[in-house]
Amino acid sequence: MTASVLSYSENADLAGEVSAAVAEVAKQLGTDVLALELDEISAGLRSSGRVVLVKGDRELEAEADSAAAAIAQVAKAKGFRAILVGETRFGTVVAAKVAARLKVGSLGMGKNLRVEGERLVLERDAYGGKFVARVAVKMPCVAMVQAGAYTAIDGAPGPQETMKVTAGAQKVALVDTRLSQRGATDIKSARIVVSAGRGFAKKEDLALAQDLATALGAALGCSRPLSSDLGWMGEEAHIGLTGAYVHPQLYLAVGISGQLQHVAGIKDSKVIVVINKDGQAPIFQVADYGIVGDLYDVVPALTKILKQS
Amino acid sequence: MEVRSVLLKLLGAEHEQVLLSLYEAEGAETYGSLLRSLSTVLEDNVIPLSLALDQGKGDIKETRKVLFEQGVCKLSHPGGYGGMGLPFGVYALAMELAGAADASTAMSLGIHNTVADAIAQFGSGEQKRLLLPSLLSGEKLAAFALTEPSSGSDARSMRTKATKEGKNYVIQGSKMFITNAGEADVYLVFASTGSGHGAFLVEGSNPGLKVGKELGEKLGMRGSHTAEVRLEKCKVVAEDSLLGNEGLGFEHAKLLLDSSRIVMGMICVGIARTAYGKALAYAKERELFGKKLSDLQLTREKFANSAIDISAARLLCMHASRLKELGLPFTSEAAQGKLFATEMAVRTCDAAVQLLGGYGYTSDDVHRHLRDARLLTIGEGASEVLRMLIASQELEQET
Amino acid sequence: MNIVVLVKSAVNEAELRADPAGHPVLNGAAMKMSNFDMNGVEEAVRQKEKNGGTVIVMTLGGAEAKKAIREAMAMGGTRAVHIVAEPSDAPDSLGTAYLLAKAIKRIGEVDLVVCSEGASDTYQGQVGAMVAEFLDMPFLAYARKVETVEGKVRCEQGAEKGVRVLEAKLPAVVSVVSEANVPRYPTLLQVMVAGRKAIEDLPLSSLKGADYPETGMEVLDVTLQSANRKKVLFEGSPEEAASKLVEALKQEGVL
Repeated sequence: MTASVLSYSENADLAGEVSAAVAEVAKQLGTDVLALELDEISAGLRSSGRVVLVKGDRELEAEADSAAAAIAQVAKAKGFRAILVGETRFGTVVAAKVAARLKVGSLGMGKNLRVEGERLVLERDAYGGKFVARVAVKMPCVAMVQAGAYTAIDGAPGPQETMKVTAGAQKVALVDTRLSQRGATDIKSARIVVSAGRGFAKKEDLALAQDLATALGAALGCSRPLSSDLGWMGEEAHIGLTGAYVHPQLYLAVGISGQLQHVAGIKDSKVIVVINKDGQAPIFQVADYGIVGDLYDVVPALTKILKQS
Repeated sequence: MEVRSVLLKLLGAEHEQVLLSLYEAEGAETYGSLLRSLSTVLEDNVIPLSLALDQGKGDIKETRKVLFEQGVCKLSHPGGYGGMGLPFGVYALAMELAGAADASTAMSLGIHNTVADAIAQFGSGEQKRLLLPSLLSGEKLAAFALTEPSSGSDARSMRTKATKEGKNYVIQGSKMFITNAGEADVYLVFASTGSGHGAFLVEGSNPGLKVGKELGEKLGMRGSHTAEVRLEKCKVVAEDSLLGNEGLGFEHAKLLLDSSRIVMGMICVGIARTAYGKALAYAKERELFGKKLSDLQLTREKFANSAIDISAARLLCMHASRLKELGLPFTSEAAQGKLFATEMAVRTCDAAVQLLGGYGYTSDDVHRHLRDARLLTIGEGASEVLRMLIASQELEQET
Repeated sequence: MNIVVLVKSAVNEAELRADPAGHPVLNGAAMKMSNFDMNGVEEAVRQKEKNGGTVIVMTLGGAEAKKAIREAMAMGGTRAVHIVAEPSDAPDSLGTAYLLAKAIKRIGEVDLVVCSEGASDTYQGQVGAMVAEFLDMPFLAYARKVETVEGKVRCEQGAEKGVRVLEAKLPAVVSVVSEANVPRYPTLLQVMVAGRKAIEDLPLSSLKGADYPETGMEVLDVTLQSANRKKVLFEGSPEEAASKLVEALKQEGVL
């Protein structure tokens, strides 16, 4: 039988999106889809094809090595034209390892995947997000699917089979986990996102942004400096090329200047609003609506109006 | 209105060209990477503090520290006491970058380094050993005290006197407009002596050295500290304090000023370059009569003139620098470079204010460059004095 | 400790211009050491300062990569290896990892390989993991904190819900994120000294074996992202502007 297109993500929501990508690619190839689930079937799994439940001699999704080993074994056993992996940090490492083990090409951060002859072609951001590159690679190959690039497939999974694999020697041990106290609403799935940048003078002032977010029923995110340099918000709140790509109906950038890398993460938002006191800030180039003003005045005013209506 | 700062990295291309025309390819590449590295440091750590310094909110120690830690003072001092032994031109270009980042800091450092230069050139082995390492590292700060309340351009007529008393000198007099006053650990004080003029190293802690109130109404260079310095029966040990020959202090000063004029000129090139960069950025954004300001011919003429001016000033200063490196006389050339560069800077910074219009007039961040540059047609050889110097050299050559 | 740090000479995207057709003007574009790689170099140098040893700066690239190498050397690299690639070589992530791994194997005893989370221009972030596969070494990714003790490396990895602490035996490959450290600014003297150190050039062909993976990766085209946004500005007092904004958003149907 023709080699299939495999799909994988350790994140159940993203797995649904990857399934959509995989379904398209499989259709173009005229082949079928195999959705890989490691260790256990996720609740509410959405997929279009057969599901392979992969089990190992130890927990496969505990680390990237074992997950990659498992996927590579399944791929070899079943034959594959492409393996599509959901892009998360874990997914990136897994995809890279799978590609290295199978000695095939791997492309990152992809959207608009299509088949052109013997090659898989996709689009991804380049040069800080200023440009978009169309890249092709010979099949069989691995490709990563960017979160938000596809709408999760609607549908219950098809027939299921179980495969046993060996996880391989454990090279990296997890010795401790420290859960953060933050319970941030997931910015990736939020309908409205408010995002804070360096325009905020101190951490305490983020309360203004949070008030606005609450009034809007929005999730709160930030530009990279606030999560990385300043540590005012967690890494999961960071929106940008190297963080989360968001695609809300409404995105409000408050006190953010608009570095390329940040803009890369928000360009699929339906409506972008910018509040910044510097009228020359690059972010105004990607704004649908903007207010050139001091966020310390504008944000409370905006919050007040929203609460009243 | 927030005015964008000039990316120092833009200077990289201009400097690369100058380096390639002056030095062997390999040297040019090395010096280029030094200047590029310095640009990044200045951009990240000095430029953000520059406006605050002008507005009296910052501390010049912080920005000077960045330059000291980078080793800017060490660049062209000979090795042995911590110098890097590089050609003078590398230091000159570094000072253009420093001037572009923050004028007050650059000037403060340049003057400090002139004193280090004095010790390197005229100091005894002991004086060099004791002072050079800490001056080059910035551990100690120096000030240059030549000008007096009654004598600036006519320096030779100074009234400060140093009288020999056994193993000591007693210095009496008063110096004015001294940069780094109050901060300095050591002052190079010029005084008339029995045999002419002498240059004396006086410690800031000397009870006979009194620093007056800070001059608080300066038009520009507001980041640096400037004050009167009085020498009141200031006793110094001759062997430790006298720098060079007891009668030749004024000749020593002239030689030092030749080099420092190149530096002041380059600082002005930097100031002009920054102001010009802000004008360029603004003109590309500002809209009027259905066009961008940068589309209008009169604007373009201004930019062309400024570009030529900046380049000419830089090259004139670097020409003097190259002559110095080659051991050739460079007094007139240094004066020409400084004169042209300082007047050019005032011209260019003024043009920038004009171009930025209302914003130019009402933003410290724009007009401070003009205010900073305005000092340097006065200090370190007033334009009038330099013209006289240049003319007399020209006339001497005719006979 | 023998530490190899992988750096990439990347296009300075802030200064990259587009031609009238919207394609990036790559010819003569300003290059720099990829931002995140500076964190990698800083981490490697810190480990050297703590444990003693050498830091070998390694890059794959054309002649322009020498600049990035010098930057890394100035920060504290001991020596450098430059895998010289021609524009026609253009290896993809897998090919790059293969070549880097080959070059690392040639060095002999290596305790730690440090890289960053990704290159600033392409940002796929795969090479580190792939190098680890080729070298059969453990890979600890996205480390915000790196500690080496008694033949082991321990890293704190930022994860969605908090921090995971990972441990592996050396030799290992570690990728660091920019939260890991603040890269130092080399002094002018350090830059000068670095400029004098020899860089070992390794022609790519000398590393490419029969098992070199040809993935046929090809960049078909690169075009400017278009924004096409309304760019409507609301003026007036904060209250007036905010009020107009809310109206507009209601019209858009997003509120």
